[in-house]
This record gives sequence, structure tokens and C-alpha cells, in this order.
Amino acid sequence: MVGLRLRRPGRQPDLVARLSAQELDPLIHVPARLRIVATLAALPEGDAVSFPRLQDMIGLTPGNLITHLRKLEEAGYIDTEKTGNGSASRTSVALTRAGRSAFEMYTEALRGLLGGL
Amino acid sequence: MPTHNHTHEAVPDNGGGELDPRDAAALLDQTTRRAERQLDLHPPVLMLVAALVVLIAYGAIWLSVRNQHPYTGPTLGALGVLYATLAAFGVLVAVVTRRAISGVSGRSSQRRRGEAIAFAVAWTSVYVFQGALHHAGASHAIAYGIYPAAAPLIIVGSAAAAYEAAKENWEWSGFACAARAASRIWLHG
Repeated sequence: MVGLRLRRPGRQPDLVARLSAQELDPLIHVPARLRIVATLAALPEGDAVSFPRLQDMIGLTPGNLITHLRKLEEAGYIDTEKTGNGSASRTSVALTRAGRSAFEMYTEALRGLLGGL
Repeated sequence: MPTHNHTHEAVPDNGGGELDPRDAAALLDQTTRRAERQLDLHPPVLMLVAALVVLIAYGAIWLSVRNQHPYTGPTLGALGVLYATLAAFGVLVAVVTRRAISGVSGRSSQRRRGEAIAFAVAWTSVYVFQGALHHAGASHAIAYGIYPAAAPLIIVGSAAAAYEAAKENWEWSGFACAARAASRIWLHG
């Protein structure tokens, strides 16, 4: 999301941290998952990205990425689809409508939070 | 989900510690820009290269026909430069596209296949019209000189301009229109 900028950086850091816990989706408000969701949201709606490409774009280890993807999948924010068998298997990951909507709400909440300080 | 051997790596539940909203905004901005750049099919540098291609290819054609009396059309060498630069640009576009769409599947990849077919038809029509010109009795200088030099930019440029305009990609649409206009001016000049 381009354009998220602080109006008055450096003010009331404790208040910001407290508000964040209440207003921002805790499933997304984590560095690794925020990067995953933001990257998936950059894809056109209806598109999926393969696991290796996503890993390459985000720069997480496979284990870290799997762990975070599971959490997002359990919340219904992403869909994973596995095709093929054995070494030819391929997993693709896509943001669900609920995931996209949660991401939009997250960015709105973040914008409101930072704009209001 | 892939069953890698690294699945048991310890990952903190918060995935990287407490995240200040300011840091979140910065991370979000950075990640989005990076993802958009990696997925971009039309990076700005490609437009710069396209402009150079038009300049070099049509510069060569212009130099070859300058002061021709009587007009005999572009030289084979100039046509060679034109098609070599177009081919090189085609390869560059293919590399950029391949890198951008690597690992991406879904609706947009189906749409891209349709676009590729449409552009293949546009290119084919260039040579269908050339055959029609030949059969209609056009001179060699026209059918095999000026036409193959100008038609790719006019016909394929029009298709590209319409396609980019439909996507509201005005920079590329404007560029395609400008290239097409330059080609038409050169053709009538």
C-alpha cells in the first residue's frame, strides 16, 4: 500500500502500540504475515502464486513461510492448492476474498491510526 | 502446502516481535512496492528501451532513404537493422514477462494467453496485407521497402495502443500512439 505516511512521526509511541493491539488484526499485524498478505494482495484478484516464487519474493525460509501460511489458511485468509504428485508437485497460494477484505480493513485501520496521531 | 524438511523450524508465534504501527506502515509500503516491481510486466526501463528501438530502427530506415532520387525504398541493411532491433526488443519483452509471471497462475495468465493470440493475429495481418499489396501490383519499393518498414508500427502499434488504453495504461498507450504517429509521418514524409 503506497501512501501510508505518518503526519507527526515520533509522537506518543506507547499510545500507538496500545491502540495497535486493539484495532489492528492480530493475524496480519505480524511482520512476516504482513509481508505475505501484502505480497499476495499485489497480485490481481483470482491469481495465485507458487510457493517457491512467494518464498523468493518474501525471503523467508520454507519452514517459516509454511508456519505463517498455515495460520493464515486456518483463518480463511488464504487458499493453498496442491497439484501433481511427488517431486512434480506444486503448491500455489492465493488470497481469499475474506483475506483481501481483512487486508483492506487492516490498511484502513492502520491509516486511521497513524493519521489520527 | 509443500512438505519441506524445515517445517519444524522454531517460529515465534508473533512472527518477528512486537510491531509498532509506524514500522508496520513502513513495512507494508516497502513490501507492496517491491511486490509490484517484481510483478510488473511493463517496467519503466522497458519503455525507455522501446523508445531506443524506434529511434534506432527508424533512424536506420530514414538514413537509407534520405536523398533517394528516384525512390527505391529502404536498403536491405536498414530493413535488417529494423527487424533485428524489433526481434531483440521482443526477446527482452519475453524475458521481462517470463520473470514477472514466473510462478503466477490464475485468471490473469488466461487473459495473457488471449492477448498473445490477439497480437499474433495483428502481426500476421501485417504480412497478409503485404501479400495483398504485391498481388494488387504495388511496386517493389512499396511492397518490400516502405511497407514492411512502416506497417509493423502502424498495425501492431495501433493494436498495442488500443490494448493499453483498454487497461487504462495511458503511458504505454501514449507511447504506442506516438510511435505509430512517427511511423505515419515518416511514411508520408
